[in-house]
Amino acid sequence: MNDRPALELRGIRKAFPGIVAVDGVDLTLQPGEIHALVGENGAGKSTLAAIAFGELQPDEGSVAANGTVGLVHQHFELVGRLRVWENVLLGREPRRGWRIDAEAARARVLDVAQRNGLEIDPDAIVETLPVGVQQRVELLRELDREPSVLLLDEPTAALAPSEIEAFFATIVRLAQRGTAIMIVTHKLQEVIAYSSTVTVMRHGKITATMPTARTSIDAIAQAMVGGEVPALAAREERPRTPVLRVRDLRCGQDERRIDGISLYVASGEIVGIAGVEGNGQSTLADCISGMTNFDGSVEIEHGDRPKMGVIPQDRHREGLVMGWSIVDNVILGRQEALRRGALLDRDRARVEAALIEERFDVRAANLDVAVRTLSGGNQQKIVVGRALIDQPALILAYNPTRGIDVGAAALVQSRLIEARNGGAAVLLISFELDELLTVADRIVVMYRGRIVGAFDRTHFDRTHFDRTAIGRLMAGSQ
Amino acid sequence: MNALNRFGPLFAALLVIVLMSLAMVVARTSPIEGFTALLTGALGGPNQLGETLVATSALLFPALGICLAFRAGLFNIGAEGQLLIGALFAGAAGAQLSIPGPLGIVVLLVLGAIGGGIWGGIAGWMKARFDANEIISTLMLNFVAAAVALALVSGPLKGPLATGAETAWLAPAYWLPILIPHTRLSAGLLLALVIAAILQWVFRATVFGYELTAGGEAPEAARRSGINISRLTWIALTLSGAIAGIGGATIVTGELHRFNTQLSPGYGFTAIAVALVGDLQPLWICVAAFGFGILESGGLAMQASAQVPKDTIHIIEGLIILVLAARRYVATRVEKVQAA
Amino acid sequence: MEFLLALIVLTLIKATPIIYAALGGVISERSGVINIGLEGMMAAGAFTAVLVTYATGQPLLGVLAGVLAGAFAGLILGVAATRFKVDQIVAGMGINLIFAGGAAYGLVLVFNQPGASKQVAALGGNYWVLVLLAFALALLLHWVLMKTPWGLRIRACGENPRAVTAAGVDPLALRTLAVTISGALAGLGGVFLSIGELNLYSDGMTAGRGFIALAAVIFGRWNPLGATAASVVFGLFEALQYVLQGKIPWLPADAMQALPYIAALVALAGVTGKVRAPASDGVPY
Repeated sequence: MNDRPALELRGIRKAFPGIVAVDGVDLTLQPGEIHALVGENGAGKSTLAAIAFGELQPDEGSVAANGTVGLVHQHFELVGRLRVWENVLLGREPRRGWRIDAEAARARVLDVAQRNGLEIDPDAIVETLPVGVQQRVELLRELDREPSVLLLDEPTAALAPSEIEAFFATIVRLAQRGTAIMIVTHKLQEVIAYSSTVTVMRHGKITATMPTARTSIDAIAQAMVGGEVPALAAREERPRTPVLRVRDLRCGQDERRIDGISLYVASGEIVGIAGVEGNGQSTLADCISGMTNFDGSVEIEHGDRPKMGVIPQDRHREGLVMGWSIVDNVILGRQEALRRGALLDRDRARVEAALIEERFDVRAANLDVAVRTLSGGNQQKIVVGRALIDQPALILAYNPTRGIDVGAAALVQSRLIEARNGGAAVLLISFELDELLTVADRIVVMYRGRIVGAFDRTHFDRTHFDRTAIGRLMAGSQ
Repeated sequence: MNALNRFGPLFAALLVIVLMSLAMVVARTSPIEGFTALLTGALGGPNQLGETLVATSALLFPALGICLAFRAGLFNIGAEGQLLIGALFAGAAGAQLSIPGPLGIVVLLVLGAIGGGIWGGIAGWMKARFDANEIISTLMLNFVAAAVALALVSGPLKGPLATGAETAWLAPAYWLPILIPHTRLSAGLLLALVIAAILQWVFRATVFGYELTAGGEAPEAARRSGINISRLTWIALTLSGAIAGIGGATIVTGELHRFNTQLSPGYGFTAIAVALVGDLQPLWICVAAFGFGILESGGLAMQASAQVPKDTIHIIEGLIILVLAARRYVATRVEKVQAA
Repeated sequence: MEFLLALIVLTLIKATPIIYAALGGVISERSGVINIGLEGMMAAGAFTAVLVTYATGQPLLGVLAGVLAGAFAGLILGVAATRFKVDQIVAGMGINLIFAGGAAYGLVLVFNQPGASKQVAALGGNYWVLVLLAFALALLLHWVLMKTPWGLRIRACGENPRAVTAAGVDPLALRTLAVTISGALAGLGGVFLSIGELNLYSDGMTAGRGFIALAAVIFGRWNPLGATAASVVFGLFEALQYVLQGKIPWLPADAMQALPYIAALVALAGVTGKVRAPASDGVPY
């Protein structure tokens, strides 16, 4: 190892129309260090990572890398229908004449895997592999290029706790051999556990850089938000009557399979579904919201309230018509409520949109702008506001705070708690255990399409013990 | 939304003028001479204006049908066949009808709608039931329609006195009233304008219009909002075909007064350009249809007196479609810049 | 026996242009671009072949020019779909109008007669080479797609272009090239129609074969060999139309013209939903 930094960013500035995403950032990565880059959504960390990787050109400043730079994407950029070796060696295929030398390719993948202590079947079709193994494929693709700098963008977002441990074991080993690692993340516990240095970004600038050993989760969180994290609405207790009853639900196949799920949610409580992505949560949500056929029964006791408000998983694809105005999006899914004969009551929709804008603090020039032009947080506020506005008996929320900033997330969570206080039954599916521990009254854990455990707030509110237990169940161990 | 979108049709008109000039130069004609021929041929007198409006009307029906399907996210490129079958239904029935005149006309138009509706509905059913690509199926159905129509009017439906492949003439009682005396322009044009107004209202004010366009813009979000997409699919393609079919029936009852396999020189295809140039807005489509009507009727005159091939128009239609498609890309970029 | 032989020969002849277009469809869609413009690319190839043969008296030059014309049409769609991110379907329809209209324009401009060109010195008996070449190209394309680095990248590009970017290859360049080749193949299909099977270009002679080819792509599951087999099936129905003419008393000859189209419709309904298109087919990147 020489003394030259593995990666040196000097005076980086990058502006997009109307916003300065990165504003005068200096950052140095030394060989063998694990550097965590944290910040809220929109703080500029992904832009900075893209510049470091060379995907984006900075407007000002310089990037100097001593060797190649690799990037592991948050949403793996893999080809599901191709084999592992085809994915790993895409673009650098070993050849024999005009053809790909498949034998050499297999050997090379196995070799890279072995050297990094990763187990892999080079001939497996990627889409059939569990998420954790898919990430291994993505990692192998980068490692094959022997990078001196490895950037990891939210690498553990889709992993179970045990997979996370194994993943970081690999990363630590890489660092020990001299690779400079930069992890972009919002999971502060991982930052504390595995990084050597932490840099906090806010509004495109670096607000703090400190050795991890001399800081704490609270200190980092405060630097991220630039003050106190907004408080959530208080919970109020009220009598509970059953609203949602699910009995012995069976549906779907493979990753989407659910296999005999029974649960209930009462009015005035939030039931959280904990689990790693791909354990049947989507299918459960689809069954309850009537989007698919299933065996078993789903009963909803809704009295004189409307039956259900749904916050779908993917707001862009499933929740909004991106080219339409806020008013027209507030109508979506509520056509019957707004129907006047054959006509649509757009005047009422406009009043409701204004109400949502106010209650959810939606930042938009006016109610007629296309939702495509709004930030992710504001889009999500519209989706949530629309689901709550008719005061439904059941609220089905699927990762309602994914990809939005801390302030917007706190607001969404508060509104869910208020709906619960007002007598709604809330089923909250989330991949973030922390969110469930903060918001839910009860937590049930899903693993491979079954419910493998249930926890009550009276326990997990006070003890750290349940957190570990839930994490273990999510990973499939008892 | 923004200036580029709002002035799309004007932009297209400008493009047409530039491209036509180019085509005239290639054909060794001065653009002034060419355009004079074109405009005199299309608008030079009541007769010429009448023919232009006849073409406008013939383009407007299929363009409105296409607009409805496209707004629902369905690429119906089978308007030609739907129009032909609508005309066939009207022509076959009209030749044998014996009920009072006005009622008879209504019956013929309804039959046109039914014929076109069936033809569009087949593609809709195939899409809803088997997820069969509607682009391919509607185009295949054009050829099937042509073959079926030809076989029928060469055989069982052939008029007793007809020399070519056509039905017998309709009794004058079943002819649509003429709008401009001594021209072929019939009241069909008014019907087309009424349908355009209704469509505009349906898109803007009704629940059905909302659900239709939601299904077209964001199918998954629409499905999750409780809209039955496969039902919408076959309804949209059936209605789309029905509107084109009425167009076919108006050609039969309004101008030809019989069914003839040559009755459409590709109106159903040109109508795709009309619908796109009109930005899929029914009222703009009326304007676009008039513009293309000028090209259709003036094109013949231009070919005759200025030796510029009429097919220039089809090249230009294609280029307009390409450029308009690219304009959308430019427009979204502008929108993004404005938003950020 | 003689009947059967005639049917086989006619089937191969009728299948050939569809095979070329379908192979073009396969490579384009495997790279992630739906090529609705195959029909126009065939027309471009068919007309240009006649034009150049007419001008030079050399049918081989005509073949070459037809292929280049198809490739040019493909390049336009490729650039539109990648650099300008236009709606691929709308752009494809534009291509069809431009080149079908362009050929009709050319008929009037060059031959001074609408409807059909003058007769030219066509390939004559040598058209069999093009029939055999179609099958050879099917095998070649299959090998290229499945066994070579470039084929792997094309397939990856149609599934997830971002993965191709992550691997350091430009997916837009790959797509543009694939659609250009697609156009060249469709152009060759057009060449076969005009100076292979016949010796002139007539307006509308492609008769929806570009779309039948798209149905063959789906029926053949986006695989060159499958698409070729499907094209032969459609060719068979087209051949049957001629062979059976007058043999079925209750079915008029005019109605039989619908046969290949109905076959394509049935195939379309029968297989879609059961097969899986490339994941990013038709999705701009």
